[in-house]
Amino acid sequence: MTSDTPFQREYADHLISEILGGRMTRRQLLVRASVVGLSATLVGQVLAACGSSSPSSTTSPSTAPKAGGTLKVTMPSPTVTVDPTTMYDTGSIAIAQQVAEYLIWVNNDLSLRPVLAKSWSPNSDATVWTFNLQQGVKFQDGKPFSADDVVFTMNILLNPKTVSAALASFQGILSQGGVQKVDANTVAFHLDTPFADFPYFVASTNYDCLILPTTYKAGTWQSKPVGTGPFKMTKFTPKQGATFVKNPTYWQTGKPYLDGVNVQFIDETQAEALALQSGSSDVMLTTPVQGAQALFTDANLKVLTTPSTQSRFLHMRVDTAPFTNKAVRQALAYTIDRPAVIANLFNGKAQIGNDNVFCPLYPLAPTTIPQRAQDIAKAKQLLASAGFPNGVTMNLTVEEFEEVPQYATLLQAMAKPAGINLKLNQVTVTYYYGSGKNQPWLQVPMGITDWTFRGVPSQYFLPAFTSNGVWNSSHFKNPAFDAAAKGYDTTLDEAKRRQYAATMAGILTDETPSIISYWINVNRAMKKNVNGLTSDPAEFLDLTTTYLS
Amino acid sequence: MGRLIVRRLLLIIPSLLLLSAVVFLMLGVVPGDPGRVKLGPYAPASAVAQYDHSIGYDRPILVRYGTWLGGFVTLHWGTSWNLNVPVFSLTMQRLWNSIQLALVALLIVVPLAIVLGVIAALRRDGAADRVITVSSLSLTVVPEFVSGVVITVLFVVFLKVFHYPPIPPPGADPFTRIYYLLLPAIPLMFVEIGYIARMARAGMIEALSMPYIRTATLSGLPRRRVVFGHALRNAMAPTVAVIGTQIGWLVGGLVIVETLFVYPGIGYLIYQSAIYKDFPVLEATVIVVAVIYMLSNLSADVIVALLNPRVRFGR
Repeated sequence: MTSDTPFQREYADHLISEILGGRMTRRQLLVRASVVGLSATLVGQVLAACGSSSPSSTTSPSTAPKAGGTLKVTMPSPTVTVDPTTMYDTGSIAIAQQVAEYLIWVNNDLSLRPVLAKSWSPNSDATVWTFNLQQGVKFQDGKPFSADDVVFTMNILLNPKTVSAALASFQGILSQGGVQKVDANTVAFHLDTPFADFPYFVASTNYDCLILPTTYKAGTWQSKPVGTGPFKMTKFTPKQGATFVKNPTYWQTGKPYLDGVNVQFIDETQAEALALQSGSSDVMLTTPVQGAQALFTDANLKVLTTPSTQSRFLHMRVDTAPFTNKAVRQALAYTIDRPAVIANLFNGKAQIGNDNVFCPLYPLAPTTIPQRAQDIAKAKQLLASAGFPNGVTMNLTVEEFEEVPQYATLLQAMAKPAGINLKLNQVTVTYYYGSGKNQPWLQVPMGITDWTFRGVPSQYFLPAFTSNGVWNSSHFKNPAFDAAAKGYDTTLDEAKRRQYAATMAGILTDETPSIISYWINVNRAMKKNVNGLTSDPAEFLDLTTTYLS
Repeated sequence: MGRLIVRRLLLIIPSLLLLSAVVFLMLGVVPGDPGRVKLGPYAPASAVAQYDHSIGYDRPILVRYGTWLGGFVTLHWGTSWNLNVPVFSLTMQRLWNSIQLALVALLIVVPLAIVLGVIAALRRDGAADRVITVSSLSLTVVPEFVSGVVITVLFVVFLKVFHYPPIPPPGADPFTRIYYLLLPAIPLMFVEIGYIARMARAGMIEALSMPYIRTATLSGLPRRRVVFGHALRNAMAPTVAVIGTQIGWLVGGLVIVETLFVYPGIGYLIYQSAIYKDFPVLEATVIVVAVIYMLSNLSADVIVALLNPRVRFGR
């Protein structure tokens, strides 16, 4: 990494005071240091100042990786044509990630790993972020990688005509024209507003940000795949599979270890599990507990598990009876036996939720808010105080998605003793999301919505809980919350951000516009001879260091 | 005979028109729209509307039907909304996969079932007849999704003798292909074996009771020659009719089996295009399957006619 800016050195001092004051753990420090782009030397100095050893290198395998071999992977088929600038489904993303790369990869603990960006740093108020790029990198078509490609790719994503999933993340933070080339290997992002967590928005968590060459023609990726990545895609058959071979000119010397990757698209969980059990595949991209239970006890396989920020939010419209009274919303939250829900739905493989968006995986998640537990007496008392001493009936809209229907049935049974009669209305996913003027998930008084992985809490609270959030299905409006959200996003001061986080989490848990009972772990089942591959909280696939033994 | 075929062929046209209209109408009624599927749940509503406009989904349903019909009859089947590949080649490729699976099942089950049916007829009411009739009928009444699951668990998970999913690797030789296809073919054979064996048995029993068989036997012809030379040919008419009606189902109606085995046939394509509201593909696949049903029924009738002189020559 390059030398640190004065701001970064000042930030390092600030981190030292945070950790010495006991307000930050060592792991959280490493995550935060990676976001602001501190060099390894500086992080070492910080840790030394705190009396801790320097960060240990990431899990290095005990045996040397063996080169060669072809890995067989099953995954859900891309629902639409694969195009990195517009893709949104798990299959498309995992395919594109083999061929093209991000500036930054987000590790499982949410720390940042430089890929095409060598280093990055903010100015003092976090409105301009400068990225230094790797040199000597070539695209698979032979074109050298430079700052122009980054500007080109970002401008595609920022163009509303592209309809990129990334645009929603950039809204209000980065606009067209904000990405500027400084020199051949340096790019500056001029933001619309100060933003402390900005690197996550150009990293793998904003999955459409794969860097494409300036020669790229929109919509041609599936037939002419291009990128700087470890594998070349040699064949793609819709709904069936894809074939990859090692990129011989890959810029990370010696990698990847595999000669190739064969992907088979399978859309049913049970069928994917069978393919792995029968030996037709080596890795199942994502292994939900529901539908693949047999894999977790199969002696020939290993299942890796990693905590994620995926969740299901049960929203209650605060502007619609009976949810206008927060006691009613709290009452339902108190009927839930969360450990039982987790045991039933995920065989224990999930983290407990506390009705706020600060998943324990987020480095600044407050630990001061008491965990909500089942308390039927309290729920009854809250209902009585809200004017429902004889119970209340609620209509819950449930999408047919993974474990959501089972979750709703559990909630129904748990709410009954408190006098809450949950009526379930089960609908298909397409119906639940709808389109145009008819988007039931934003309109029904009460519904359960699936939320995929988010790298930073802002990606949850901005759209779902701020007054003008586009996906605010609970219609929650709270000026104090909005102010804290703004403060959290725009300051680089860790102590203040921690306070803002505590404020927001406190408001959400107390007001309970949504019930968040659990944060799902992501599992990945594979054969025992597959090494150097982890599960991924966002179900992404990085095979750069994978090898077969 | 010729007039019969022409009349039947002409009847297919209004049937297909009606079918295509019904499918079109049903797709207009079910919720969700293609732009939402294409762009994902988080795309802004304006972008969804824009996409729907770009594929003409926002026009009145009659206009859309007219446009589609005009393209379809001139073999311009359009492009899949979700997969961006030509519908015609996609449908034909999947159809060929389904035909291969059906062939493997038929080539094994038809001779087997006929032999069993003939044995049962010759040993009428004996132990062999009972065993054959009861067991083949039992296999037939087990739904294919039940037998498919049991067979998969047994042969794939425990015995590990078959590959799952049963999709032959590209460029595999014919024997490897057949080996892969055996797994999904077994549940199909189960369904078919009862029908065909029963028909073969009934036809044989009827044929054996005919006066000309008695004549042949009494004139001293060997038993084998009587059975295979005289009775079998006449006994086959109802069996052929049954096989003919089953071909349509075997080629185009395997939504359940193909989905269970994630086999890329036309049945699975129908299922997937319905899920993803890929209208051009759904409409094309449904029509193709309907054509196969009708043609296989027609050809069964023609073969029955050819086997039976009364139908062949008389009216």
